[in-house]
Amino acid sequence: METNLTSSAFKELAAAASGIMNPAVDDWRSRGGKVVGYFCSHVPTEVLMAAGILPFRMRGTGSTGTELSDAYFSSINCSFPRHTFNQALKGEYDFLDGLLCISSCDHVRRVYDNWKQNLPTPFIRIMSLPKKVGDPQVAWYREEIQILRDELGKHFGVEISDDRLREAIALRNQTRRLQRQLYELRKREHPPISGAETLAVMVAGSSIPAEPYNQLLRTLLDDLAQSNGSREYRARLMVVGSELDDPEYLDIIEGQGGLVVTDSICYGTRTMWVDVDETAADPVGALARYYIQERPSCPRMNGDQARRSQFLQDLIREFQVDGVIGERMLFCDFWCAEHYMNKVDLKEVGIPFLQLDREYILSGKGQLRTRIQAFLETMGR
Amino acid sequence: MLVGGCDVGSTTGKAVILDGTSIVSHFIVPSTTHPERTARMAMDEAIKGAGLASLTDLTYVVGTGYGRLKVPFANENVSEITCHARGAHWLNPAVRTVVDIGGQDCKVMSLDKNGKVLEFAMNDRCAAGTGRFFEAMARVLGCGLEGISSLENQGTNPATISSQCSVFAESEVVTLINEGLDLPNIVAGINNSVANRIFAMVRRVGLAKELAMTGGCSKNEGLAKALEKKLGVDVTLLPQDPQIAGAVGAALIAGEKASSS
Repeated sequence: METNLTSSAFKELAAAASGIMNPAVDDWRSRGGKVVGYFCSHVPTEVLMAAGILPFRMRGTGSTGTELSDAYFSSINCSFPRHTFNQALKGEYDFLDGLLCISSCDHVRRVYDNWKQNLPTPFIRIMSLPKKVGDPQVAWYREEIQILRDELGKHFGVEISDDRLREAIALRNQTRRLQRQLYELRKREHPPISGAETLAVMVAGSSIPAEPYNQLLRTLLDDLAQSNGSREYRARLMVVGSELDDPEYLDIIEGQGGLVVTDSICYGTRTMWVDVDETAADPVGALARYYIQERPSCPRMNGDQARRSQFLQDLIREFQVDGVIGERMLFCDFWCAEHYMNKVDLKEVGIPFLQLDREYILSGKGQLRTRIQAFLETMGR
Repeated sequence: MLVGGCDVGSTTGKAVILDGTSIVSHFIVPSTTHPERTARMAMDEAIKGAGLASLTDLTYVVGTGYGRLKVPFANENVSEITCHARGAHWLNPAVRTVVDIGGQDCKVMSLDKNGKVLEFAMNDRCAAGTGRFFEAMARVLGCGLEGISSLENQGTNPATISSQCSVFAESEVVTLINEGLDLPNIVAGINNSVANRIFAMVRRVGLAKELAMTGGCSKNEGLAKALEKKLGVDVTLLPQDPQIAGAVGAALIAGEKASSS
């Protein structure tokens, strides 16, 4: 990733995003801390935090092939679970004390089945995530979160009280607020941080314990407060899509002159644009409401496209976005129809839209550059 | 004022020299493993063809194509999507849809009345429907690219080739050969399969007449015929070799840049 940021806080965060294991996790474990891996931004990480466990979001960072995991998947499974499970089979996730899967999509669901059969991780669970957005689904998810709370408590021998849950929610909200402050800087005409750099900071947020992460983020915000970006750009872009944890991908877009100023991806705004109610008498209910109804919607949720489309248009206005790039991992069924609808909706408001298919690990850079360059040219930039 | 366009593709390198609004010369060479060399070879021949002494006679040069960053004598580079659209539209101003099929890519662009790209679609990480695909099929059939292109060779009862993947399509063709199917029906089936794929891409950007084909595969008459049938519109012929449309577009943009600077 191209960067001219000299902030040491940024360097530490970027280093954590560039691999799986990092010094902060090492430190946490050396002091007896437990780590549970989780898939998908719908997992209520606050429950893990309240149990004193470090939630670590699963990635396949550093993977170069899927030769070990291919035996367990078919050619139509997307490359994200294949690479991530391959890393696990190689031993990169041996440090986990548990794994929390969720029925977010069928590809990720299969990781649970295969992991259970092939790896000795002591605590493995899968959560059932409702498909629709509504009150009955909130009640359902509340029950799921309650089950998780009980099972975690029993397995790890901790009591997860309501107070501890509220504390964890408050701490996680603090992270969200700091991340939103970082995004606020990107509204400037010359943002002091690029899209690729921001993504690295966001990815680090699910790989480092919350307290040291928040501290690093505060330092970074101080470092950036007075500086303006020197980067020349041809257009301000928003990236919309799914599991994107590779800053290099955005780096290629920005290398062509498309500055990524905001996003709707599940390492970005969708994880932090709104807070969880931290004073609720029923914190489990508050979490259920947040993850089903309140946070920005993900295309896996049925009947909620209008809200998602509105969210994009709000961001376009706030960040003065000139064009939108919709990225989709090959074989992702949730995003295939969504991008078509995005294109139609954005056309109505006069915002150019480019759809890109990709693999989990960066490939076909030449084709990618051609598309981005041509997209900027069609925008007259 | 003389300007140049140089389109370094995956299979061939193309150079065009423009004087105002007329093409002075153009040349196509096979691509080498060094894009700089390919660019130089094509442009040297075009310069020779124009009766010029050297590159310095050109006021401005724009590079395009896969090797666009490696055209050593280019003043700047522009994507082949923009260049093919510009070139085809200049060659025939009625053109509103361009289907560019090169060695490793196929692209469809929709244009406004000024030749500006409104939208484009491009094949994703797959060789189906590209020159590579036709080369592989010609090899299996032992008929050469002419055999696939020739109108006399298009059977009236085309075989169905459903695989979208070049490698699997090749296996399908081998099966058809072994089932004893006539070569012309296999050839027509191959062209239909590519036409179907392009049809889907045209639908993404929206079909508007006139539609022109550019790139090396636009010379495949069998494909053009299959595409016409699928789309229900005629393919408009360009007054120049459609393979050089990208280089023509690059040269046109070079002309604009030279006069504005």
